[in-house]
Amino acid sequence: MKKLLFLVVAAGFIAAGPPAAAQETIKIGLMCPLTGSWAAEGQDMKQIVQLLAGQVNNRGGLLGKNVDIVIGDDGGDPRTAALAAQRLATRDVSAVIGTYGSSITEASQNIYASAGIVQIANGSTAVRLTEKDLPYFFRTCPRDDEQARVAVKTLMENNYEQIAILHDNTTYAKGLADETKKLLDDKKAEVVFFNALTPGEQDYTTILTKLKSVNPDMVFFTGYYPEAAMLLRQKRDMGWDAPFIGGDANNNPDLVKIAGKEAAAGFRFLSPPVPQDLPSEQARDFLSSYREKYGSAPGSIWAVLAGDAFRVIVKAIEETGSTDTDKLADYLHNDLEAFPGLTGPIAFNEKGDRVGDVYRVYKVNAEGSFVLQE
Amino acid sequence: MEVFFTQLTNGLAVGGIYALIALGYTMVYGVLKLINFAHGDLFTIGAYLGLSLLTSLALTDHVGAAAGIVILAVMVMGLVGVIGILLDRAAYKPLRTSPRLSAVVSALGASIVFSNTVMLVYGPNPRVYPQGILPTQVFEVFGLSVPVMRFVILAASVILMIGLYVFIQRTKIGTAIRAAAIDQDAARLMGINVDRVIMLVFFIGPALGGAAGVMVGLYYGQIKFTMGWIYGLKAFTAAILGGIGNIPGAMVGGLLLGVIESLGAAYISMAWKDAIAFFVLILILIARPTGLLGERVAEKV
Repeated sequence: MKKLLFLVVAAGFIAAGPPAAAQETIKIGLMCPLTGSWAAEGQDMKQIVQLLAGQVNNRGGLLGKNVDIVIGDDGGDPRTAALAAQRLATRDVSAVIGTYGSSITEASQNIYASAGIVQIANGSTAVRLTEKDLPYFFRTCPRDDEQARVAVKTLMENNYEQIAILHDNTTYAKGLADETKKLLDDKKAEVVFFNALTPGEQDYTTILTKLKSVNPDMVFFTGYYPEAAMLLRQKRDMGWDAPFIGGDANNNPDLVKIAGKEAAAGFRFLSPPVPQDLPSEQARDFLSSYREKYGSAPGSIWAVLAGDAFRVIVKAIEETGSTDTDKLADYLHNDLEAFPGLTGPIAFNEKGDRVGDVYRVYKVNAEGSFVLQE
Repeated sequence: MEVFFTQLTNGLAVGGIYALIALGYTMVYGVLKLINFAHGDLFTIGAYLGLSLLTSLALTDHVGAAAGIVILAVMVMGLVGVIGILLDRAAYKPLRTSPRLSAVVSALGASIVFSNTVMLVYGPNPRVYPQGILPTQVFEVFGLSVPVMRFVILAASVILMIGLYVFIQRTKIGTAIRAAAIDQDAARLMGINVDRVIMLVFFIGPALGGAAGVMVGLYYGQIKFTMGWIYGLKAFTAAILGGIGNIPGAMVGGLLLGVIESLGAAYISMAWKDAIAFFVLILILIARPTGLLGERVAEKV
């Protein structure tokens, strides 16, 4: 009998425990690829958001409460992401940051939408993510049609006439490739090659041989940096010197490491500015505290955009004095104006897309550094 | 025509690597009727160990590039072979008498453990082999320009494969392996130490996978902890294509798969490359259920 009484009391404590704890903190979810092929981006996202959350807590927290980051690993995989999203949705989070890949974000969108949680993606640029009338979905990154517009402008400025477009069949890369092709339709350039490679392989000589046989002036590769690096390396081994331009998923210093300086030199890519080129004071402060804590600068802009997503959420909670999803979404849609983000001023349109011009053209120089082109 | 032959050499180079990995699958299957799904990850471990040894020992600086690479490959083969034996001890030996499915599940588990261990030890970023070790000359033959390393890789694969074939067919130990493959109990009655044979098989198969890993690292430069999966899958397909359990079959299957992929991508559809390869696999299995050179009917796993 005593034992039974003890169990009942214990059960009472357990039942009473979680809600009491929940009141003391504001939970913000972070969904990122901690494993899988984009794990490097995910680790950076985690470090950045945790650093910023630590800073908020040191300042005295948010609405007098500590911010608690709840992390879900999406593995860079849509199925894993759906499970991670379901777990985060039941963990009482006020908003969710993430994630990197567009197909991954897409797998989680409806789960957060039906749970009534604000989601701010940081690296998912596929157009259709914000064309679904989801009232709680936002992103701090620009979308692919914006990038495609800048890509076409760059191609036209260089007077390329025979253009080859290569993607990798991911939602993101195909979206960018399709959009670029569409915009090129009424230009005087001709798309002489439009096809996809299989990401994750090592040998792309078959594709390069085929590309070379159509003799393009320029190749626009919309996929990710590991493949771009292999293409550049094998292109040099073949002794082929056609210029390559990449999409923004090539903005990673590992590109040069994999391809080698010699093969990477001359490669251009479109991207929002790299972390080191971020102009604002907030960005400089952030980068120096990041370096102090983790010893190096973040690898890519996408992880920094997760930091911006966090800062925007904090701002919205502060301004509305609430964690109510409708109030937060309403604030982000209508009242947030030119918020000083790490990556420049931030505001959102009615679709949840970030407003403003962020893309730049970069070129890899002979030393293997990324140089901003004006 | 020039493009066709270039694509053919592209396919043969990739196929040589598939074939080398396929040998590991086929040897283990031949003796134990077990598909060692962790084999692709042993290949990855070989690539990473090669990188560590190459950068820490600086072998190529001391003894020259060619000798350095041979010594490196031998060291990696030895290490990966030992890991193969440990894998057998830890994951397969306790299940020797269990139903076949248990060992397959254990193999998948071992694969996950290996690839995640590599990620934890070496980090999730792609790693890069030092450059400038291999010659980058381009070979001119019949009007084709083919990087000289493509021939070297293909030649190295073929030499290792022929060496293995001769070892299995002509030596006493090879005969013991073949005997154990046919009937373990009968082999035991003939005085063959079957446990020793299995250990040897788990040394040689992973060692060849490790050699393939070093080759991929040296030639392609970039290695990833996830790369074992895709290579493993292709090599497994190659082994089935040639007739699993059959060593010349693995060679033929690997080279053929590489060429089918390359020509399929070049002349049919690039995005459907893998689909074409698997379609050909299905056609061949319909015509010859045991694979191209397979003798025994492959049992269902």
